[in-house]
Amino acid sequence: MESKINHFMIGFAISSILRRGVKSFFTLFIFTSLIFLLSSILFISNSIKAELGFTLKSLPEITIQKLQAGRHTNIGINRIDKLLEFHGVVSAIPRTWGYYYFEKAGVNFSVVGIDSFDKQYKNSFESFVEDVDFDELSKNSSMIVGVGVKKALNDNYYKDYFNFVKPDGELQKVTIASTFKSSTSLESNDIILMPRDMVLDIFGMNENEATDIVLSVANPEEIPTIIEKIRNLYPDTRVITQNDLRVSYQNIFDYKSGMFLALFIISAFTFFMIVYDKASGLSSEEKKEIGILKAIGWKIDDILKEKFYEAFIISFLAFLSAIILALFFVYTLEAPLIKDIFIGYSRLKPTFDLPFVFDFQTVFLLFFLTIPLYLAAIIIPSWRVASMDADEVMR
Amino acid sequence: MLLTPEVIAILILDTIFLLFACFAFYISIPIALKWDINSTSAFQYGLEKKAILVATIIKYIFVLKLPLFLFFIFTSDKISGVITGAMCAAGVVNSVDFGLSLFIFKILNLYIFGFWLFLHTEDMKDEKLKFTKLKFTIFIVAFLLLITEIFYEISFFTSLDVDKIVSCCGTLFSAASTSTISFIFDISNPVIVTAFYITFALYLITFFLKKESLFLASNILFFIVSVLSLILFFGTYIYELPTHHCPFCFLQKDYYYVGYALYITLFIGTFIGISGSILSILKPEFSQNYYRTSLIFNILYTLIVSVYPVVFYIRNGVWL
Amino acid sequence: MIECKNLTKIFNKNKNDEHTALKNINLEFKAGEIIVLKGASGSGKSTLLALIAALSKPNDGEVIVNNKRISKMPDNFTSLFRRENIGFIFQKYNLIPTLSVKDNMILPLIPSNPDEKVLETAIDKLLEKFSMESKKNILVKQLSGGEQQRVAISRALINNPKIIIADEPTANLDGKLSLDFIKIIEQLKNASTTIVIATHDPLFFDLDFVDKIVELKNGEVIDVINS
Ligand SMILES: Nc1ncnc2c1ncn2[C@@H]1O[C@H](COP(=O)(O)OP(=O)(O)O)[C@@H](O)[C@H]1O
Ligand SMILES: [Mg+2]
Repeated sequence: MESKINHFMIGFAISSILRRGVKSFFTLFIFTSLIFLLSSILFISNSIKAELGFTLKSLPEITIQKLQAGRHTNIGINRIDKLLEFHGVVSAIPRTWGYYYFEKAGVNFSVVGIDSFDKQYKNSFESFVEDVDFDELSKNSSMIVGVGVKKALNDNYYKDYFNFVKPDGELQKVTIASTFKSSTSLESNDIILMPRDMVLDIFGMNENEATDIVLSVANPEEIPTIIEKIRNLYPDTRVITQNDLRVSYQNIFDYKSGMFLALFIISAFTFFMIVYDKASGLSSEEKKEIGILKAIGWKIDDILKEKFYEAFIISFLAFLSAIILALFFVYTLEAPLIKDIFIGYSRLKPTFDLPFVFDFQTVFLLFFLTIPLYLAAIIIPSWRVASMDADEVMR
Repeated sequence: MLLTPEVIAILILDTIFLLFACFAFYISIPIALKWDINSTSAFQYGLEKKAILVATIIKYIFVLKLPLFLFFIFTSDKISGVITGAMCAAGVVNSVDFGLSLFIFKILNLYIFGFWLFLHTEDMKDEKLKFTKLKFTIFIVAFLLLITEIFYEISFFTSLDVDKIVSCCGTLFSAASTSTISFIFDISNPVIVTAFYITFALYLITFFLKKESLFLASNILFFIVSVLSLILFFGTYIYELPTHHCPFCFLQKDYYYVGYALYITLFIGTFIGISGSILSILKPEFSQNYYRTSLIFNILYTLIVSVYPVVFYIRNGVWL
Repeated sequence: MIECKNLTKIFNKNKNDEHTALKNINLEFKAGEIIVLKGASGSGKSTLLALIAALSKPNDGEVIVNNKRISKMPDNFTSLFRRENIGFIFQKYNLIPTLSVKDNMILPLIPSNPDEKVLETAIDKLLEKFSMESKKNILVKQLSGGEQQRVAISRALINNPKIIIADEPTANLDGKLSLDFIKIIEQLKNASTTIVIATHDPLFFDLDFVDKIVELKNGEVIDVINS
């Protein structure tokens, strides 16, 4: 086992790659595409995972919804006092919110009612409710919108106000007071914040109703007991924990990435076949070249080594350029097409930014998913070439 | 079934290994049976070329298996975040009945494939190719072990269950555990520490005796006693917790990845010792350098592992 | 030095187009000899050279070089043997046209990862010998036939071979260049280098520095002249 790097051999490998320009370039191109596809998927999924991680942290520990005929309906605010009596419950806050379908843009906005007196259930709102003059909002009937909403409205020429259509068909004009952007864009992008009264008005809801009630608890260990008690007291409710949300998010997400990985496996197999085929189909010139090398003293092992150097150079180039391209594609271009498929519900939600996530684990993973495949594809063809009889050169 | 990209990567590589190994196995049978270096038949010339293909395939598998082993531990560590109860790779690996067997097979195969390549390198130095028949007979056995490992690994990943609650390493590696290895916790600390340093002393003696068979035996013994003492005694000083015996947690960042340093030095030291001894039994003129390489790594291991209790004692004035 | 015993080579054995290219050849060449293999096209000269260089395996008999049975060595070892002992000059030069003169010359040594400085001196010495210093970094495809021939010879000499094998070395050269080549061969003659030339070029048949002329016909030795 030679440990010293043979730079003559590397030089020869490079010149061999250049000599077979078109063929090498073709292999380089498809290998780069494969790694690019895979790294884009991984980068996007890492980003979405990170985003979901943030979101989950800010979600309430327990959410209580009322069900009627198996459907989610509004819940009476009067239940709050009872809930607060449970041991371990720190706070119970009614939330008033809903989806408003904006037909022209084909997207759903999440309209959330805020109340200056209630303790806010989301940290991200809290900070900003402080900066905003709440009284001003209700006096001028105005709202604060997420960047995604702002963009969707702008695109449809609503520069500083928007007309909500109420259930009775009347229009409710609401002016845009300001735009906000929270640390996680996935959750806040499609949000519209406005005073609770106005939300009740727009959705035609009753004064003493809320969409749901969120609880926070002192000790997460007690969550199962609390749920049990709520179920006994109010059999008509559905109780959702942060963990339930996490699992359902995770499931949707794994399903999507599973689909992509299936796609990857198919592409990888195709790639394998193409490389195998390219490596097997040698031109008579290449065959003669191998013959010359063997005749002048190259061992089978030397030729194999040279072939592996070539493979390494091509893999390395492909790996590097694919990762750079993928970083550019995902984080600068915001992954057009792929992101939409990945998020699935994007048609219904305004677009959002992918947070930048890059770690070496992913690079190792990419390495194990791609380079061995390429090497595997060339082993047998290279051996076949290398073990050819060299006496061909004599003719 | 838990299809994270990491698991898919391992499964894809397993598939490649499986296909290549089967192919290599198919070629190896005639080599193991009909190899005759003195024959001038076209058949024998064909075998000589095919032997190189098999060696290339094995090199490919081994070169990937080494980092893949670390990647496997890493992946299991990562999965432990998803599986309820598991704190590190140990919990995940043990969440299936054959987890321990999978692990033992993995280590065994690293040793065997490494040795095979060692033997191959020696074999290729002489044009008589004296070891080829032996090499391919060993490969046939190694193939069966590899296949077992791969099947274990595939069923391991397919039977991982997110909803199943598993034990964490704290309970697995404790006297109270009912797992297959719990009996070792009957050994008391003074016994295992003494055993470790006596084994190390024996190892040093065989080093100076320069007798291959003794050196071979002392390396194997040193490996076994090292792993046991690491779990029973030295690990607790790495964690500074008398009850924590996990042989995986110290691979994590919290312990500065010291586990990798320990396992890698122990592996290299004993691997070189074992393979070198066997080779020099097979081939008396084999270079004696392996004695020194083995010694350096085994001493390194012993030093690293000894530093923990000593530093602990100096800082706290008591033993755990 | 080189010994052929009962050498037989059959192409496509046990097939319809089976062809016996060499039949029961027995020859012995000593170190330092220059040997010319003569014979019509198809008589088996190239086949015999290939066997002597262990590029292919005989169907019967053996080739012994320096007491080594090279006809029975495994492939990797025959390559090593050629790297260390044999310099090849092929009929079609067999250079890699898109590599420079220097890069072609180092080809035989690449696998042994030579020392840069030692290599450089060896190259310069050979280029000087063949008055090719100015062409060192020029691509081979830009050279004339005679120059390419000289690169091919330089490549054959780079490893200081004990045996030089030339197959039809003048087939692609005009009269003057052929004479140049013969001069080069004469210069190479020394006590330790054995040179085997297969040719049907009559220029080689009455050279006084040739030690042995072996005539082949239909795969059999029909005449050996010692001079
Ligand atoms: N690889 C081969 N397969 C089949 N026949 C071959 C092969 N190589 C050479 N021959 C045949 O063997 C005979 C001798 O060829 P060769 O040694 O090249 O002759 P020479 O070099 O004297 O012209 C020719 O009839 C040729 O056709
Ligand atoms: Mg010829």
